[in-house]
Amino acid sequence: MSEQHDTQKDKYVTFKSGNEYFGLKIEYVNEIIVFQEITAIPESEDYIKGLINLRGKIIPVIDVRIRFKQEPFEYNDRTCIIVINVKSTVVGLIVEKIAEVAEIPEENVLPSPTLGHGDNSQNQYVYAIGKVGDNVKLLLDPDKLINDEDLSAMEQAQEAPEEGEEEL
Amino acid sequence: MAEEFNTDGMLDMYLYENGQLLERLQEIVLEQKDEECFDEESINEIFRTMHTIKGSSGIMMFDDITAAAHKLEDVFFYLRESHPKNVPHLELVEHVLEVADFITGEMEKIENGETADGDSSEIIEKIDKFLNTIKKENGDAGADGEEKKNVHVEPKQFYIAPMATSDSHFYKIYLTYSPGIELANVHAYKTVYALKGIAEDILYSPEDIISNEHSAEEILENGFKILLQTQSTEAELKKMIQTGYELEKVEIYPCSAKDYQQGFEGIGSEIRIDLDSSVEEITAKAKQQEKAEPKKEMAPGDFVIASKEPGKSRKLAKDKPKKSEKAAFISVDVSKMDMLMDLIGELVISESVVLQNQDLKVPGLKLDNFNKAAAQMAKISTDLQNVIMSMRMVPLTNTFQKMNRIVFDVSRKLGKDIEFEMIGETTEVDKNIIEHISDPLMHLVRNSVDHGVETKEEREAAGKKEKGKVTLSAKTESGKVWIGVTDNGRGLERDKIMAKARKQGLLDPSRAESSYTDKEVYQFITLPGFSTNEQVTEYSGRGVGMDVVVSNLQSIGGALEIESTPGEGSTMLLKIPLTLAIIDGVVMEVGNSSFVMETGVVKEFVSVNEDMMVREPNGKEHVMIRGECYPVLRLGDWYHLDGYKTNVEEGMMVITEVEKKNICIFVDRLVGKQEIVVKPIPGYIRKVKGLTGCTQLGDGSIALILDAAGMIE
Repeated sequence: MSEQHDTQKDKYVTFKSGNEYFGLKIEYVNEIIVFQEITAIPESEDYIKGLINLRGKIIPVIDVRIRFKQEPFEYNDRTCIIVINVKSTVVGLIVEKIAEVAEIPEENVLPSPTLGHGDNSQNQYVYAIGKVGDNVKLLLDPDKLINDEDLSAMEQAQEAPEEGEEEL
Repeated sequence: MAEEFNTDGMLDMYLYENGQLLERLQEIVLEQKDEECFDEESINEIFRTMHTIKGSSGIMMFDDITAAAHKLEDVFFYLRESHPKNVPHLELVEHVLEVADFITGEMEKIENGETADGDSSEIIEKIDKFLNTIKKENGDAGADGEEKKNVHVEPKQFYIAPMATSDSHFYKIYLTYSPGIELANVHAYKTVYALKGIAEDILYSPEDIISNEHSAEEILENGFKILLQTQSTEAELKKMIQTGYELEKVEIYPCSAKDYQQGFEGIGSEIRIDLDSSVEEITAKAKQQEKAEPKKEMAPGDFVIASKEPGKSRKLAKDKPKKSEKAAFISVDVSKMDMLMDLIGELVISESVVLQNQDLKVPGLKLDNFNKAAAQMAKISTDLQNVIMSMRMVPLTNTFQKMNRIVFDVSRKLGKDIEFEMIGETTEVDKNIIEHISDPLMHLVRNSVDHGVETKEEREAAGKKEKGKVTLSAKTESGKVWIGVTDNGRGLERDKIMAKARKQGLLDPSRAESSYTDKEVYQFITLPGFSTNEQVTEYSGRGVGMDVVVSNLQSIGGALEIESTPGEGSTMLLKIPLTLAIIDGVVMEVGNSSFVMETGVVKEFVSVNEDMMVREPNGKEHVMIRGECYPVLRLGDWYHLDGYKTNVEEGMMVITEVEKKNICIFVDRLVGKQEIVVKPIPGYIRKVKGLTGCTQLGDGSIALILDAAGMIE
């Protein structure tokens, strides 16, 4: 167990979305699968693309680019789904392109500064910046990525009237 | 760590097994509560149950449980051995239930990690008193003759003890019981019984401790003597027979084989015992020793002693009842069951992938043999599904039995004579559901007995001839489990409820009071706060904690419906969805999405013409089919899908019916009928109205399951 931890330590799965490279701690990543057909769920957030069938398990998938409020992109055969497990919620992340598994030692992980990318909302899921050579990877907090506060607030707001209706 | 885990496992097993035993016990007791007495089989079973519980509780060191079980065991031991008449049956039933409740209560404490600190002494005292009463009533009157008969028979039976070896030790054991202790003979027998486990041979005096009640006095007066041949050491024996509240003194003397063979001859008090015994007994004993002795010579160490008839001692064999249960049931981790369920679901899907494979659709293929094999496979997989479903599904019988108990308790307490009827108790529902409906059901049943059914006088005054009756019924229909609690009591009183609703400001001022349907009115009593009103409780009863019932039901997606006829009774109907199931579904397509609807709710499919449509100015649509007008719901619109058909003549109308309400759902195309495995929509995605789950289709794609009831709302 501890050995396994050691081999996973400091390793990040990095992927490209838009012009940035993002990194996810490898311990959150269950597997990476090729893109497969998605069944849309009506009345859900735009970045929740729907459900996929992962060997009998039905899991939701979200489009990372739409989640980051970047331009949507066309899915093709290079499109991958990173299946992550955050606190036993299994979610698929649709990403444009997997880059590599990078090792980023702790000393190269810097706390996230205020980004000048014009879209501050990115800050909430980027918790740090990792340096790999000359490149910079934005390290993601998967928990915030799939459950941000806006979402839960929205959820509550939308669920409340529904319940009211049921009582009538 | 490992050790901790072990005891946990033992505790789990203990709780599980005893839980099962107690459930079975209640079942037996309630089954026969209206009879005059328990039949022999039940007495034996109750005795065995108590014996097992006593034993396992002893190991787990729950002393109060042990003591209570012990006491009840004593009673049934007496019933079994002495067949007394004139046992107040209802009282006995109550005692058994009391003990069962006590143990259940303690076990709940243990399960919740608390200490089992309940005190059983009060119960024990009560049962003691009860036992004495029946003994007194039966002891002198009819028992004598009967017991003598027993004496005739018993000594003729022999018990061949396990083989002795040269390592055997011989002991003389003298037990002195505390003066004034009840049932010293039974205590003595228990010691003998315990020793039998380690004994190669055992002799005891007095011998007729079971059949002769007076032996208790003898034992108290002269002590109880045991001759024992065993491999165990003295220290081990001492551990087994310990002085306690009943045993005052234990003396163990090792002796030689020769001493042993002399039996009780060397013991002076033996004669005194014989003086007290009947003539038959002495001759019987002589016979016994005659028989015993030659046998000894034939094979030294292979002793034979007088004992109970072999049939009975076989029943007493310690682990007998346990063994048979283990053969009948094994407990399986629920997660493994879920895994199996998933795998079979997969199998069903991959089967349809194989059987409907595109490659098979090449023209000119000869598929006769393939089709034969495929049909065989389909049959097996259907059987497999049925088996796994039946494994997860549990009949409601147990839950209903518990309600029987409540009716019994409450009606006795209130002095009402109430009949309890179960209909469809073998209806099977998922185990999860059972856990959730127990409490609401209990509440409803209690309400029915307490407030619904009137007292005898009231019933007579109202001219009701039949007995008060509470009926529990269950059925599955249109993918839901329906459980009804019906009583033939006074029913709900609409006026009272309306008055209360008015007071609480629940009524819509813009609506005339008469426009409220009965159903709407009755729903008021399920509102929180409404229940606490004393007036409603007093007159119509229903209300105490009804909001809890409803919220419990809602947590598993169920609902409560109330029907009532004043003066004739009321029915509380619980509707609970089957959460986990393989169901027959109709697959349809809208745009690029597939949807499934349960076959049960689909009434028919109709292709309609444009001139059958009726459009309201506000955009609502209806369709006239054979003179009936149905509201239309366009699935594509409803879910804002892309690329769906808008022309009604191109698509298909699916008429669904739920609870006598109809709705017409407009879809693009019907795909077919298929068995589908219902899977929940991942919790990450918030609940979408009208969807109950999702499933995989034959091609591996995912379809969403529509909930017609949700859409009608």
